[in-house]
Amino acid sequence: MANYKIQSWIIFGVLAVLTSLYFSNLYAASIVSSVAIAALLAGSLRFVMLIGELNFAIAAFVGIGAYSAGVATTMLDISFFLAIILSGIVACIISVIFGSITLRSGGPYFLLIGFAFTEAMRIMFSKMEVLGKTSGMIGIFPPLWLDDWLSLSAVIICLILLFALYAIEKSQFGIILRSIRDNPDVTRTVGVNVLYWKVACFSVASFCAGVAGALQAFSNNVISPGDFSYLLAVFVLAYVKVGGESSIAGSILGAVFLVLLGEFALSMGAGEHIFYGSAIVIAVLFMREGIIGIVFSVIGRIRITRTAKESRA
Amino acid sequence: MINTQGSLLSGRNLERRFGGLLAVSELDIDLYPGEILGLIGPNGAGKSTTFNILSGFYRPTGGELHVLGEACTGSSPTKISRRGLVRTFQHGSLMPSMTVRDNILLGTMHQLSGRRRRKRVSRAEETAEMLGLSNYLQEIAGTLPHGLQRLVSIGIAFATRPKILCLDEPLTGLNYTEASSALQVLEKIRSDFNCSILLVEHNMKAAMKICDRMVVLHHGKPIATGIPEDIRANDEVISIYLGKRDDT
Repeated sequence: MANYKIQSWIIFGVLAVLTSLYFSNLYAASIVSSVAIAALLAGSLRFVMLIGELNFAIAAFVGIGAYSAGVATTMLDISFFLAIILSGIVACIISVIFGSITLRSGGPYFLLIGFAFTEAMRIMFSKMEVLGKTSGMIGIFPPLWLDDWLSLSAVIICLILLFALYAIEKSQFGIILRSIRDNPDVTRTVGVNVLYWKVACFSVASFCAGVAGALQAFSNNVISPGDFSYLLAVFVLAYVKVGGESSIAGSILGAVFLVLLGEFALSMGAGEHIFYGSAIVIAVLFMREGIIGIVFSVIGRIRITRTAKESRA
Repeated sequence: MINTQGSLLSGRNLERRFGGLLAVSELDIDLYPGEILGLIGPNGAGKSTTFNILSGFYRPTGGELHVLGEACTGSSPTKISRRGLVRTFQHGSLMPSMTVRDNILLGTMHQLSGRRRRKRVSRAEETAEMLGLSNYLQEIAGTLPHGLQRLVSIGIAFATRPKILCLDEPLTGLNYTEASSALQVLEKIRSDFNCSILLVEHNMKAAMKICDRMVVLHHGKPIATGIPEDIRANDEVISIYLGKRDDT
């Protein structure tokens, strides 16, 4: 039986929910939602990293999710939760089509295709009359009764999806995904359809990105094409790299850390773009395993000294 | 329709061209049930190209390939492997960042898909035990010594319980003890599971010992086929590949 570390997840979940309950004033609540959405995006980007690909198209799928939520709410009057699920499904379906064509390539080629797709989608959003052209869509409100509970709902939805990503990674499918990253040829020779699994992984990640986009739309009430440029993908990459990509906890930690620090940087009037760029550089140069790597090594050292003391005593 | 009677794997007149270079040509190959067939030849003879053609990584530019009686010319590696032909690679035939257990489990994924996890795990453990890897299941495969890594790569392929196992230089870099235990493993795979083995090998002593028949390639063409004793005595093979002592 795989060790799902259920206890850690429960503790983390309760903490996250309590935090969102505690910060109920408008501004703090919006930061809590941003953190949850960022964590979900980091989890999604890292999930595609399991097959060894850097998914710069993530920003496009966040955009697709956000605009789907916008259309569903403002034009079709679809209810909040249904709109969120629908956004994920739309992103997922488009990602299956996009993935089955582009995931035949890999590495830098896939990254560049993702980058191009993100820009193409951004331009498309800004040209379409029905999506509000460059000014985007407004009035994407959650239902009134949910207004005070939006950040809590965002936290819970993100937690559920992050746990789902974690469970898939820990399951036997995770073995297939990691094998594709490590050695696609060997994976092929044992009868595994590599493209199928790559697309499956990509579509699950894109579903999460779509849901994250919908949550972002509901928590900001306004979306515009500029929110979904490649810079978004760079930010998410920063979360994963700074937090540490070895485990999903690292990506979540990176998202929490950088979003909070980003808010702080904004309050100082600093350009957050420079801030995120330097965060990636510092993480890559000085902490290859990210924050989580440092945490794990500290825990490891404490354990070693403790066992050493016990054996002496 | 070519005559493939009794043969699990049969290639007729296989050819692979890379631009102006004819890497493999006029290659007829047959592998019979329970047989260990050696594919030998000097560097650049076309052994690896042959392997890549047989396993679907290269599409042959000419000729026909049948795996277990079904035409597989130009089929994908995944399809050929699902037919029962599984190969290893000369270099890096495993997943270095994963544990030995997960490496071998990968081999069970397709064949036992839809079955319970326990079934796959027990297949993986049984495979590991046969290869003498039971004590290393939790180790990261990339950190193991070279000899054990070779065994892990055989383990991944064998966990699929193939009908035909194609091993690309499985003994390279192994010391005498490791090589002889690897040979024992191959014998066991053949006898206990009735699996035919196609072997590319540079270690002539070992290959002569274990192979039932051998095919010698030179410049992409087969120059001799037969039992090891005949190959050893073949003048052309001696002059091209095996060499001769001055005093004999």
